[in-house]
Amino acid sequence: MKLRRKLFASKDPYDCTRSQLFLDACKENYSHLITHCDDYKKISEGLGIKGVHDIKGVCDIPIIPTMLMKQHDFRSGRYMVMATSSGTSGKMSHVRFEFGALMAALRMSIKVTRYHGIMSFRPCRYIVMGYKPHRSNKTAVAKTAYLTTFLAPAISRKFILKHTSEGYKPDFDGIVKALEKYEKGKAPVRFMGFPSYTFFLFRLLEERGLSFKLPKNSRIMLGGGWKQFYQEAADKETFYKLAKKTLNIDEENITEFFGAVEHPILYTDCAAHHFHVPVYSNIVIRDPDTLEPLGMGKTGLVNLISPLCKATPILSIMTDDLGILHDGSTCPCGVKSPYLEIVGRVAPEDIKTCAAGAADILQGVKV
Amino acid sequence: MILYDGKTYESSEQDRLLTELENRIPEILGKKQLSPEVVIEAVECLRNDLLEGKFDDLLASFPADVVDSYKQQAEALLSKEHLHKKLETELGNTYEYTTEYIKGFNQIRVRKMPLGVLFHIAAGNMDFLPAYSLAEGLMTGNINILKLPSADNGLSLKLIMQLIGYRPELKDYIYVFDTSSSDIQGMRKMAELSNAISVWGSDMAIAAVRGLAPTGVKIIEWGQKLGFCYITKLDEVEDAGKELEGLAKHIAQTKQLLCSSCQVIYVDTSDMSEVKAFAEKFLPFLEAAANANRSEEIGVRARDTLVSYTQRLKSYLGEEERHDNVIRGRSCSLIIAPDSELELSPMMCNVLVKPLPRENIGKVLYEGRYHLQTAGLICPAEDRKYLAELFTRCGLIRVTKSSDMSAYFPGECHDGEYALSRYVRIVNVEE
Repeated sequence: MKLRRKLFASKDPYDCTRSQLFLDACKENYSHLITHCDDYKKISEGLGIKGVHDIKGVCDIPIIPTMLMKQHDFRSGRYMVMATSSGTSGKMSHVRFEFGALMAALRMSIKVTRYHGIMSFRPCRYIVMGYKPHRSNKTAVAKTAYLTTFLAPAISRKFILKHTSEGYKPDFDGIVKALEKYEKGKAPVRFMGFPSYTFFLFRLLEERGLSFKLPKNSRIMLGGGWKQFYQEAADKETFYKLAKKTLNIDEENITEFFGAVEHPILYTDCAAHHFHVPVYSNIVIRDPDTLEPLGMGKTGLVNLISPLCKATPILSIMTDDLGILHDGSTCPCGVKSPYLEIVGRVAPEDIKTCAAGAADILQGVKV
Repeated sequence: MILYDGKTYESSEQDRLLTELENRIPEILGKKQLSPEVVIEAVECLRNDLLEGKFDDLLASFPADVVDSYKQQAEALLSKEHLHKKLETELGNTYEYTTEYIKGFNQIRVRKMPLGVLFHIAAGNMDFLPAYSLAEGLMTGNINILKLPSADNGLSLKLIMQLIGYRPELKDYIYVFDTSSSDIQGMRKMAELSNAISVWGSDMAIAAVRGLAPTGVKIIEWGQKLGFCYITKLDEVEDAGKELEGLAKHIAQTKQLLCSSCQVIYVDTSDMSEVKAFAEKFLPFLEAAANANRSEEIGVRARDTLVSYTQRLKSYLGEEERHDNVIRGRSCSLIIAPDSELELSPMMCNVLVKPLPRENIGKVLYEGRYHLQTAGLICPAEDRKYLAELFTRCGLIRVTKSSDMSAYFPGECHDGEYALSRYVRIVNVEE
């Protein structure tokens, strides 16, 4: 995986000149997958890609939908760490990472977070708007939220979702108490986690007439997506205003991450709140009817490509998100690569067939 | 959300309410019996309000033409006259009578009575089906526990609450739970409270319910069925183009999701080149129908495309039957297979096309006997009677025109039986 190493060692995480290296690294990954994963080979051949010579561009790489990964466990080599998707619909993908993938991910994280000024040596207090790590929780969201608390030395970590005997429960009152304490201290506070819980917290504070003047350099870092949250229609402007009003955190100190366990690339929004595509990945937006690649500015299914991982065939995956790829060359932040806008999700997956009428009984229950 | 005693409760109250229901059931059974007239009146009120547009906001998520078609159906099928007719057709004479005297034997009074408590595990593939299944349970006087399908969009509960609004005495007979199917304890408790379980689903789902149910509970199965269309002597069929258009529309409109939907098109031949020629001829019809029925909503289209693509990849993995000979069109495909097995297609306008020479019909249908239900026919008029006879002799329940495979015919049975007759028992009391 020489080419992967080279790609992930790129100095500039948004270097637009490395598309050939990217394609070559993908081919290298593909060659590994078809020789180490029978299932991947079957799919590739089924789709008419008989070998690496059939891959002329990143669009040609066989696409594995996350929908299939939730139904079928793929393996393509030895691994060190396994993570699962959050499984909002009850089904989860299992993604395994080998040492090389973890190292590449680490390199990428350091480069990207440094680039966006998120990495700091100044100790801070973390409020994680997500899961408290627990042995029963293998979701990548819990792991990444926890890992993010290492981007600056932690004085303390407070979690909003606590594991109780009845499962995970939000503890808003505990957070309010912590805020009262932290406001009096000097250490910056860093919020990390789901946008939905963070937004609920803002509203709760607003309803109770509470506001805090958190120490300077406090930040909000959002990850885990707005997926379950479209109903609330919280537009980002409102979110930023509430952050200022309730916690005294300015918009420029709010950073959002985007990623998926099946595509563990760190997308970080720029000053203009755009998710530019880093050098480690490519995004192809595909026609919702034919899966043919679409040009910039058109809405379609989001096909995410990265040669990060060997142990699971996640070279080219398709999520159930709908998105648009925009031309990034005019973004005021200076990054020239295209940026992704997620505009929604496909309709619920549970296709309602006669056969499926009571079949959901089987999915959760082994009777 | 739970509906219990006419009031709604949070799902978290399920355990408490189920325990309370255990005491409530014998009280209700001991006290009175629900008259079908009460149910019929409530259903007719619902129909009238629906036709007057009182539920238009609830139906706003459906396309306008679908709402119109629902209203048309409701006007006819939910009317008092039709419901009385349904009772008469499905239950026969419900009046109590005394058997004739036969020397040496005592006489008995004979009467049809409700089973007691019916637990409905309804399917989510048809709008309103959970509410309809519950209404059938009510018409036969049963106490009904309804587990909503996970895909229910809240419409069922609203309609059921309306029924109670019209006739509050119905509240003793309706208990709706939005239990997750993974809540095995909850489901088992509901099964234990019941005399019968009415379950819709696949073979495996039904096997799961059988495992869940206590011994002695009657299981009323509405299992998974597979529809097919049989095509013979297409050249001699009058207006064959219209017939093919009708079949294509049926496939596109149902997206092959119903038990009656066409999964396989059988061509009366053993020559694969004829099968292929038919598929090539049919593709433009299917493509046109698929595109005409394409949802405007990008999320739905993208979902359908993803599902089809995932199924296709599964076929490469050997998890689904693999077919190499596929003719693809925009948003649809025809999968040509050399065998004659009746099987589930990948659905969503991806239809199997197979050879089935007439002389093999009996064998193929016998092999598929557990899943037979609807056959559509495209044949010359003079062959129709013979084929309909042959199909029904071999186990088919419905033989229709190709365009009407999923149509509802007033007075029809379901999977060879009348639902209401399965929800009652016959009691004998010695004079």
